[in-house]
Amino acid sequence: MYPNRWAFWLGLALAALAPALAQPPTLTILTHDSFSLDKNLVARFEREAGLRLRFLKGGDAGEMLNKAILSRSAPIADVIYGFDNTLLSRALEADILQPYRSPELASLRPELLLDQTFRATPVDFGYVALNYDRAYFKDRPLPQRFGDLAAPAFARLLVVQNPATSSPGLAFLLATVASFGEEGYLEFWEELRKNGVRVVSGWSEAYYTHFTRAGGDRPLVVSYSTSPAAELYYSEARPKPSEPPTANLFLPGSAFFQIEYVGILKGTRNLRAAQRFVDWLISRPVQENIPTEMWVYPARRDARLPEVFRFAEVPPQPARLSPQQIRQNRERWIREWTQVVLQGQSAQAVKARR
Amino acid sequence: MRWLALPVLLFLALALFYPLGRIVALGLGEGFGQALADPYYLARLGWSLAYGLGSSLLCLLLALPLAYAFRYRFWGRGFWLAFSVVPFVLPPLVVAMGFLALVGPRGALGVNLYGTPWVLFWASALYNLGLVLRPLVALLPLLAPPLAAARTLGASPLRAYLRVGVPLLAPALLSSGSLVFLYSFTSFGVPLLLGGPGWATLEVATYQALAQRLAFPEASALVLMQIGVSALVLLGYLRLQGRLGVGLEGSEAPLVLPRGSALGLGLGVGAFFTALYSPLLALIWRALERPSAWVSVWQSPSFTPGLLALQNTLLFAALAMLAVIPLGFLYAYAVWRGARGLDLLGLIPLMVSPVAVGLGYLLVYPGLRGSLLLLLGAYALLSYPLLARALLPALQSLPPRVLEAARVLGAPPWRRFVRVEWPLVRPSALSGLALALAAGVGEFGATLTLQRPEWTTLSLAIYERLGRPGAQPFHEASVLALLLMLLCMALLLGLRPEPPAAGRAHRSRRRGAG
Repeated sequence: MYPNRWAFWLGLALAALAPALAQPPTLTILTHDSFSLDKNLVARFEREAGLRLRFLKGGDAGEMLNKAILSRSAPIADVIYGFDNTLLSRALEADILQPYRSPELASLRPELLLDQTFRATPVDFGYVALNYDRAYFKDRPLPQRFGDLAAPAFARLLVVQNPATSSPGLAFLLATVASFGEEGYLEFWEELRKNGVRVVSGWSEAYYTHFTRAGGDRPLVVSYSTSPAAELYYSEARPKPSEPPTANLFLPGSAFFQIEYVGILKGTRNLRAAQRFVDWLISRPVQENIPTEMWVYPARRDARLPEVFRFAEVPPQPARLSPQQIRQNRERWIREWTQVVLQGQSAQAVKARR
Repeated sequence: MRWLALPVLLFLALALFYPLGRIVALGLGEGFGQALADPYYLARLGWSLAYGLGSSLLCLLLALPLAYAFRYRFWGRGFWLAFSVVPFVLPPLVVAMGFLALVGPRGALGVNLYGTPWVLFWASALYNLGLVLRPLVALLPLLAPPLAAARTLGASPLRAYLRVGVPLLAPALLSSGSLVFLYSFTSFGVPLLLGGPGWATLEVATYQALAQRLAFPEASALVLMQIGVSALVLLGYLRLQGRLGVGLEGSEAPLVLPRGSALGLGLGVGAFFTALYSPLLALIWRALERPSAWVSVWQSPSFTPGLLALQNTLLFAALAMLAVIPLGFLYAYAVWRGARGLDLLGLIPLMVSPVAVGLGYLLVYPGLRGSLLLLLGAYALLSYPLLARALLPALQSLPPRVLEAARVLGAPPWRRFVRVEWPLVRPSALSGLALALAAGVGEFGATLTLQRPEWTTLSLAIYERLGRPGAQPFHEASVLALLLMLLCMALLLGLRPEPPAAGRAHRSRRRGAG
């Protein structure tokens, strides 16, 4: 009697465990919080590749990369997606990625292929850009040059993010460095401070509480060049308005060019699957899904853009800095910015201490 | 009975000391001394101290007169008492949105408090008042008999109060005040979102140093500063509590007032709370503004559907309770039975930086990457003290004679627990459990080191929507925030919010006798 009963329970336990044992291998992808792709697309890839994809959200892009660096001796994922060109040098220097030359590379925009070692594959790009509230500026003049933001006519109109805590904030700081140079950027920020610029810690506070569109008092905000398109896409008005309520303000040099990368983490036990995932990420169906899911532009030349991206214009003269420049100076720029903008020191004094 | 402490110590060692120690150790080299003496970080320390002390004083000042009002029966009494802990579990981003709608740059009130310390203190009172108020409301009725005795012996009212009332109240005031101190001193979300960069606390500075820059020397200096101050405060509190601890007996149900006075009192208390919670009202108004969001939130194609988030929220909060209940009970029992040192250790989860602990997990338990175990463990770590804190005073105020009687009559320990102790501490246990559960429902996001999309909870679904520009995501986020608030309220009301632990037990005993 007893042996039978044991056999019964054992069989039951095995039957319960069997599906778990028979599961396909899992590929873990570390991403930032804004990651999003169409669920059907993901499910189809899982079926075709015989894989299960597990996406781990690791915070803001910088936080996510730091987590990968911190755990490099026993990697927490197989693939990392979403670090950008401001972080590229840190990822390469920490030596957490292994090279992979995807056969799809030839279809990508050549200007995105910055990494000659093929450890970081570009997936998408975008622009951190100034947005304005169209209703507010209907009867008022807009700033014409980047320097105008510090003019009395535009006092207390702008809200920006703290570059120490926010990636669009850092990108905007880098744009000012690229535009005004090592010498001039601190003076510009000092003038912005005197002109009443407001600094908040992250994008959502800036956009949803201080931007006039959501009830704040600042008609100018640092956001993305795709934000007006997203405003229209998510509009609740029926029928949809023909134009978004916000627009890009492309002052020359004020937009910053960002490229997002995917890389295979060293130490993965699923190298083949990881490579397949990278290929899939830059395949056309995924690339055409990326714009309305993550609000960035696809890296493929032949990817069609959705209609609403009419309003996600490309800035004529975006600022760019090389990954090496950024790596060498990022910490110092943030520190000096903090001293001038948050602690109220003069640009002169800060530069004198360099 | 000291062995009761062992599982708790083991859990703390694995879930807290080991990962945190590894992260701190990474920074204990070059640059550590420099960071420790950095004037910028010393200024953060100063402000954190001022914020913590100011917040606990403010909460005590507000809670004392309120607790006196709560001795009486009036309309809305139970509701306000239950509601007073609801904000405690709301995600900071949601509360910050309410504040900004009300007293932000273009707020409804017309004053701009953004970036001032005043909005931080208001937020602290909104968050923490319930922590002070509820124990006081439970305690005040118990003061009546000793005060009456002092008066009978000829003391003037003032003298009776100073010599008898204050010493009896002091442990509760110190205990809840120190909790408020800890929560404000180590607070993260509210200063980050409402204070602007000028009013960053130590915790915010730790986050910036560690999560954003991996600057270990600075982070270690900050973490050690924070633990050092918190430990000093707690040691002082434990000593005082040991000296002042007095058992109280006797109780009263809420006193009955003439109808007119009760109405006046109810209106007054209601007005106070309405003012205090007005940022949440601003939020409710925003959520009700667009009825279409109430439909789209359940199946919006771009974001986690509301129903899935709701299910996950409830499931994870319930699962975490599997660890929270044994930990909370073991800890409270061990401390009650004399493991005083554990009292300090058990509070350490409240004084460390979750960012540091979270990164420590990645370092020491890479095998648990994104596993539910890690999430639930991290969560249990932060919410079992809530249960234990509610249990401990109830255990300590158990009438010793009743326990002795049970022992003398030959009841074995388990029987004593089931028949005597449990019925007496049940109300406190349930209210502590409700608090821990509600904290799980609301605060899950803050403790997560690695979140997986299919595990999105309500608070994460709110953050997800607030990460995209546009009217629809914004209104859906407001709707979810309101749902979260209602859910926490339902939990706290549903699990018997009335705190007078001893009061209930005595009343039921009286009923039994009569």
